[in-house]
Amino acid sequence: MKKRLYIELENCIGCRSCLAACTQCGGHEQRNRNYVYDVNPHVSRQTMPLMCLHCENPACARSCPAQAIQIHETGAVLSALVEKCIGCQNCTIACPYGIPKFDEEENLMYKCDLCIDRTKDGIPPMCASVCPSNTLQWLTEEEIERKQQQYDLDNGKWVTSMPYLEGATNVKVNLPGILQGTEKLF
Amino acid sequence: MQRDKFFREIENVRHPNEKLIKTHCSYCGMQCGMNLRVNTMTNKIIGVEPRYDWPVTVGKMCPKGVTAYQQTNHKDRILRPLIRDDASLKGTKEGFREASWEEAYDLIAKKFTEMQATYGKDTLSVFSGVSMTNEKCYLTGKFARVALGTRYIDYNGRFCMSSAAGGFLRSFGVDRGSTLPWTDIHETDCLFIAGSNTAECHPTSMFRVWHVQERGGYIIVVDPRETPVARRADLHLDLKPGTDLALANGILHLLIENGYADENFIHEHTNGFEETKELVKEFTPEYTSLLTGVAPEKIIKAAEIYGKAPNAVVMFARGIEQQHKGVDNVSAYTNMALVTGKIGRPKSGVATFTGQGNGQGGREHGQKSDLLPGYRKLTNPKHVEEVSKVWGIKPEEMPKPGVSAYEMFELMNDKTIRGLYLLCSNPAVSAPNLNVVRKALKSLDFMVCADFYLSESAEFADVILPSVTWSEDEGTVTNLEGRIIKINKAQEPIGESKPDWQMQVELAERLGRGKYFSHLQTAKDVADEFRFASKGGYADYYGATWDKIDKQDGVFWPCKDENDKGTPHMFLDKKFYHPDGKAKICALPYRPPAEEPCKEYPLRLTTGRVVYHYLSGNQTRRIQFLKDMCPEPYVEVHPETAAKYEMVHDERVRLYTRRGESIYKVKITEAIRKDTVFVPYHFGHEASINLLTIAALDPMSRMPEFKACAAQMQKLEPKKVL
Repeated sequence: MKKRLYIELENCIGCRSCLAACTQCGGHEQRNRNYVYDVNPHVSRQTMPLMCLHCENPACARSCPAQAIQIHETGAVLSALVEKCIGCQNCTIACPYGIPKFDEEENLMYKCDLCIDRTKDGIPPMCASVCPSNTLQWLTEEEIERKQQQYDLDNGKWVTSMPYLEGATNVKVNLPGILQGTEKLF
Repeated sequence: MQRDKFFREIENVRHPNEKLIKTHCSYCGMQCGMNLRVNTMTNKIIGVEPRYDWPVTVGKMCPKGVTAYQQTNHKDRILRPLIRDDASLKGTKEGFREASWEEAYDLIAKKFTEMQATYGKDTLSVFSGVSMTNEKCYLTGKFARVALGTRYIDYNGRFCMSSAAGGFLRSFGVDRGSTLPWTDIHETDCLFIAGSNTAECHPTSMFRVWHVQERGGYIIVVDPRETPVARRADLHLDLKPGTDLALANGILHLLIENGYADENFIHEHTNGFEETKELVKEFTPEYTSLLTGVAPEKIIKAAEIYGKAPNAVVMFARGIEQQHKGVDNVSAYTNMALVTGKIGRPKSGVATFTGQGNGQGGREHGQKSDLLPGYRKLTNPKHVEEVSKVWGIKPEEMPKPGVSAYEMFELMNDKTIRGLYLLCSNPAVSAPNLNVVRKALKSLDFMVCADFYLSESAEFADVILPSVTWSEDEGTVTNLEGRIIKINKAQEPIGESKPDWQMQVELAERLGRGKYFSHLQTAKDVADEFRFASKGGYADYYGATWDKIDKQDGVFWPCKDENDKGTPHMFLDKKFYHPDGKAKICALPYRPPAEEPCKEYPLRLTTGRVVYHYLSGNQTRRIQFLKDMCPEPYVEVHPETAAKYEMVHDERVRLYTRRGESIYKVKITEAIRKDTVFVPYHFGHEASINLLTIAALDPMSRMPEFKACAAQMQKLEPKKVL
């Protein structure tokens, strides 16, 4: 059963466990590949992860003159192939979310590959495995569908792969605000 | 068993030449399940893999947990015993030389024997901790009382869990940190969380906490700061630090006034209701608001939600416990559950978030100045007799109760105590009023410290013994639920390091007390004696064999025999542990913090943790990822307060109290009260906020008031430009 990364932004507690765990994936050479931002640190402790959304038609791969960014059959947009990457950094500019990172010493781009060593076998990526707040979840299509129904508020609060994102994405994102429509038990 | 909606069957990734050792984290009371990755060629720990099949945390870990494995083969490990011959260098890292175990043991035995011959048995002391296995905690108590024969043993739980213990003992007659398993938390209808920065201190509780809201339940948070869990709570009661007792009384008053009291439960299963009802009458929402600074309508709303909730759990942590009325705070919040009868059934109850990995088990088995294994009391002759029999000593040989952790430092300063054996703790950072504590450590005639890194406290030692990390030994710990779990050994000890239990057995032999210790040759030997010693006490671990722990995913105490599966839910039979089987509803008059703000010191200083560090930071400050995320302490200040002091974000300022001072970077945030400043306590030397905190002790638990004292801030003189 195909599973996807699902991001529930409202849940984030800013612990950055996802970043620590990212370094633990076998193929990640101890470097973390995503981001967690303080939304407005002088005002509140709200935080949000910024993960690669694994676009269906990724700008990073489109912009690569060397075809170093491959798309895995699972839909994961892989990190640059070492033998092909020419270090031009087009991808870091093209990505609308600023995901690809650049290793100046190696002259090499690196990015989230959705822990392809794990996810190719259906094992959740490290970030979603450890996320203590369930901000990052590894869900089936049906589970994501249920989330969408649960949080379909005013038809617009639920934002997964909406037009103002870079087209359709494999990762699904739910913006903050989930509690606005929750029916209270008593 | 206990597989709930969050549980998924997931295969672990297995790399070639690697094995996975299932165990738990080394840090907080959550004791998250984890697999340590061990290279089978080098037999070294090389990483971590989630333990998806651990029912409490289902693979989840905080950033401390993810990087915990990096402690084991860290470059800062102490590999051989260290001796410092020049006592004038005490309080620094300087002057240590490597020595053999023989030389170190000989020196310790010689010094300890000489000192006791000159000054009496009680000139020696043991200061311990609860970030280690039950077996080690148990043996440390026996080591102090049988090998050293001193009455002076206490532990860092006095800075952590002792108020919760005191409050539960008074209210229930038993001290198990949670009356229900964590797998119930997400199924309750209302979480009332007081003084717990849950998202930072126990992050892997958060998926269950948030789920309560997702189901339409409520989260109420009591905290002077808008912590990450308070940010999303349905109700945030932003009280002044140190005023919890008034708030709890105020809410109890409304629960009674508005008909949420369960008359039948109160009548059948509790004592003390009428007296308490009378006492809380004066705590009207207006009066409570005056004392706490929380708006009356928020107090009314909180009582209404908690009162209406079909099921509810009252949870708390150090925020309410680290006060000089910490025990009263615990009993006062527990009153809410007892008056409404929301206890003694699934999905309802009371729980404290245990701070240290073995904060629960470590306080039950005889490291506390007045306790013996199985939660027995040193003041009870029958208990003394029972334990003496297990240890093979005469009851009259058993030392009398000593004093609490902070009071031991006072006795060092007046030379009642001249020698110290310190293990598993770093009081030179974690104790309050550090100028007094550091002076005490420096004044000692002789000090031994067992640790795996050179902590700030080890800097005061004459001899340092290299102990192992949690991953190089095995044994049990008891997590925050009261569930006894198994820590497994993943790697052989590095260098010449040894587990604490082994050092204590070998030292006992040098001190001529071998006949009481020499039979303990493995961690399992200690475990078997320990289970037997706890038998018949109310924290009875006798039936919690390692085998059963493995088969059942842990065993909740009490577990009395081979056939007993343990006790996940407490009080299901509505029987409490007081002699008459009833719980006590406590009438608790309000008293303010020991030190209230004044003209000279107008701010309220409170302290706590950040998600990246654990306790004194001796472990986590050495882990690169955690250090990168939080390299230094800071003082959190509300923007209006900062404006009043003409301070800007990131500016370095002087923060001071009647006891001490330090310099911190200002972190401006609206997520704190205007009258309160906050500093995390994980940092050493001149950066320790505990230089400023007050050692006002709770009369029952002897817990210092870390959470509230009066402070003042000052801009630094601008540096002269040359």
